[in-house]
Parts: sequence; C-alpha cells; structure tokens
Amino acid sequence: MSRVWLAPTRLFVFLALCCQPVLASALDVPPLTGRIVDLARVLPAHDTDQLTAQLKAHEDKTGNQVAVLIIPSLEGESVEEYSHRVATTWKLGQKGTDNGVLLLIALKERKLRIEVGYGLEGTLTDLRSAHIIRDEMVPQFRNGDIPAGVRAGTQAILNTIEGTYQAKESPFDRIGSGQGTSAFQYVVIGIFVGFLAGLVLSQGLRRARALLGSVLTFMVAQLASLPLGLMAAGFTALLLWMVLGANHGRRRGTGLDDWTWYSSRGGGWGGGSFDSGGFSGGGGDFGGGGASGDW
Amino acid sequence: MQVRTILIGLLMAGSLWGCGYNDLQGLDEDTKAAWSEVVNQYQRRADLIPNLVETVKGYASHEKETLEGVVQARAQATGIQVTPEMLKDPAAFEQFQKAQAGLTSALGRLIAIAENYPNLKADQNFRDLQSQLEGTENRITVARKRYIDRVAEYNKMVRFFPTNLTAKLILHLEEKPNFTVADEKAVAKPPEVKFN
Repeated sequence: MSRVWLAPTRLFVFLALCCQPVLASALDVPPLTGRIVDLARVLPAHDTDQLTAQLKAHEDKTGNQVAVLIIPSLEGESVEEYSHRVATTWKLGQKGTDNGVLLLIALKERKLRIEVGYGLEGTLTDLRSAHIIRDEMVPQFRNGDIPAGVRAGTQAILNTIEGTYQAKESPFDRIGSGQGTSAFQYVVIGIFVGFLAGLVLSQGLRRARALLGSVLTFMVAQLASLPLGLMAAGFTALLLWMVLGANHGRRRGTGLDDWTWYSSRGGGWGGGSFDSGGFSGGGGDFGGGGASGDW
Repeated sequence: MQVRTILIGLLMAGSLWGCGYNDLQGLDEDTKAAWSEVVNQYQRRADLIPNLVETVKGYASHEKETLEGVVQARAQATGIQVTPEMLKDPAAFEQFQKAQAGLTSALGRLIAIAENYPNLKADQNFRDLQSQLEGTENRITVARKRYIDRVAEYNKMVRFFPTNLTAKLILHLEEKPNFTVADEKAVAKPPEVKFN
C-alpha cells in the first residue's frame, strides 16, 4: 500500500472503530416468567410454589405486585442500576398506583436489593426496606440458607405493605392498566372511526350496497380496536351506523346475534387473561426507592 | 359536502401533528416535571443532613473540618433559589449542579470518616440515616437519568426540521440544559478521601 493512502486508511479505520456500537456489557433483563424468577436455581420447588401462591393471594387482595428475582451474578453492573432496570421493564405494580416491589438477589456478589415502586414508598420506606434486609434476610443468608432468607424477606415485605391498597375489582381497569391507552379510549376511537367510515361509505355507495358498507364499517372498527380485541366497539359502531343510516338499506337480522355474542365475550377475555394466563406487570413505575444490602 | 368538511378537518388536525405542536408542548411539560423530581430528591437529601451531622458529632466531634464542610455545602446548595426559569438559564443550571455536586462530595467524606469510628458505625441511628441517605442518592440518580432522557428527546425536537420551526417561531422554545457526564460521575462515584 502506498504512503499516500496510509493516512486516509488509518482515519477510516479509526472512524469505523468509533462508529461501532459500544459492546453491550449490561446484563439482560430476564423474561417475567412468574412471580418467582429463580435463575440461580436455589429455591426448592415447594418454596417456589408456596411463595408464588402467597404473592398471588396478596395481589388478589391488594393489587400490590411483588416479584422475586434470583440471579447467579450481576456481571459487573451495580445492584441498584440492574434492579431498577428489571423493575421498570417488568412494570410491576398497577398503572397509576405504582404498587410494585422487586426483591433482587445476586448470589456471586452476595448483594440484594428491595426495589420499591413509587406508590409504596410511603409504607415500605427506604428505612423499612433496609431493616428487612438487615434483620430478616442477611442473618439467614449468612447461615447459607438462601430459601429461608427469601421466605422471611417476602413475608416481611408483604406484612409491611398489607393494607396500603385495595385490589380493583373492575376487569376494565385491569385491561387498561397494561396498555398505554385505556379501554375507554379504544372504545371511543372505535366508535369514531366506525362512524366516520360508515358516513363516507353511505354517501358513496348508497342504497343497494349499504350491506357491504355495514360489513366494512364493522371491519374498520375492528381494526381500530384491535389492540384490545374489543369487539364491543365495532358492534357499537355498527349499531350507530345502522340507526343513523337505516334509510339506506335493510337491517341484517341474522347477523346481530353473532355480534352480541362477540361483544359479551370481549369483556370476558380481558378479565380472565390476567389471572389464568401467566403473570405480567400491571404498568407500575419505580423511582429508585428501596434499599440495598450485602451478606 | 359533509364528507369534504370532515376531510378538511382531518387534514388540519393532521398538519398540526406534523409540525409537532402538541408533542413539543407535551415534552416541554415532561421536562419540567422531570426537573421538579430532581429538585425534589435533592431537597429530600438536604433534609436528612442536619440529623446526620448531629449523629456524627456525637461520636466524632473533633472531625470539625469535615462536619463544617458538609454544613457549608448544604447551605450553599439550599441557598440557590430553584425556579422553572432555571431551565432557560444554563448558567444558573450549572451553578445548581456545582452546588449539589459539592454537597455530594462533602457527604462522601463524612460517610468515609465513619470507617474510623466503630462505635459510630454500629450506632443504630447512624445506620438508619445512612440507609436513608443511600436511598435518596439512588433516587437522585434515577431522577437525573429521567431528566436527561426527557431533555434529550425535547432538544431533538427543538432542533430537528420541521419541528424546530414550530419551536422557534410559534412556541419560542429553546434548548434546555442537561446534566453533563462530568457531574454524572461526581454523583455516581464516592469521592476520594485524602489523609493528610
């Protein structure tokens, strides 16, 4: 290679190196597979089952979402940073009340942290969290009994936050809590879009093709409310269109029953999916509250 | 006719979205909220200090220099009037930053001397205050990180075309100052202790 090219080549190599994305050394946030995520496999199965049942019962009663994560190693990340990242990724706690708690244990570094959601900072204070770590968990951990420490810590956390919130009964709140947009907004959007489409179609197609219009309206409304599968929105939009545009065509007598069935099922899905399907965060947020410790 | 009216209405709404008017307004509010959270957490830290100083005094009253250093740094940090206007004034923002960073390092020195006093280290009151201080420092870190993210997003919109036109000509919004890496490090790392 001639000398003339050396400098530009060097520059190019240098720039290319600069432009490489920094190698991600940060530890991944594991998928939320349950209330107890034991990646280090230190908890016996019956402990995991018992704790899961306990945490679920607590959530059913209060809405508080408490999860436990045990990892083999932090791989260089600070326990505070990682725990905040996990808690906000999992979105523990309900949206609005932010009543989630994450108990994180890193075995290799012998570090643990209780990460407290905004809404529980008043009861499970930094100080209370520090005491739970110091008095309930660390002594057991020092004895080498990780499961006992986790049990004691979880129990103490639950006792502390018991009674802060009451669980919400309405399944609609539950549906909305997981999403950025509430169920109500989707219904409104669904009706609006459906109505608009119906109007345009009824203007353009007129009389005989009104039947096609009704089907299309229904589909458009379906798309608008797809994220929640709220068939109810489409149904309402169709009904609206039929009332307002009735003079353009015949009603569909037979189809109505199907839509009634859809709409009634729409409500049922949201409520059921939360309890029966696995465990998922409700949209809670964390502001760095809680305490860390080591053993 | 009706259809045309609706279409024009939609177009007008769409053009507003396109120029980022709403987004800019929303982000402006978000940055202010994030800033309030930062200030709030710094205040929380300042509130913890008098108790902490008293407790340390009980065991290590002759560590005058360190104790006074903390009291002074706190006075300096809380002496700054924090207003939302601060976000429009990079110099005032910088000054606030410096004062808080000064308090962070003074506090670091105070916590470090506890290592030399086993009785102080074992004191229940001191340990509790230390946990609270740690918790607050962590909240400050989180609040700062959120502010940094919000402002980055906001500043991008203020500079990018075509939203910059909306920002400059219609809303008169300026770029907001952000925390620098230098003071990020000052907060994240405990200061070194010098033994003379």
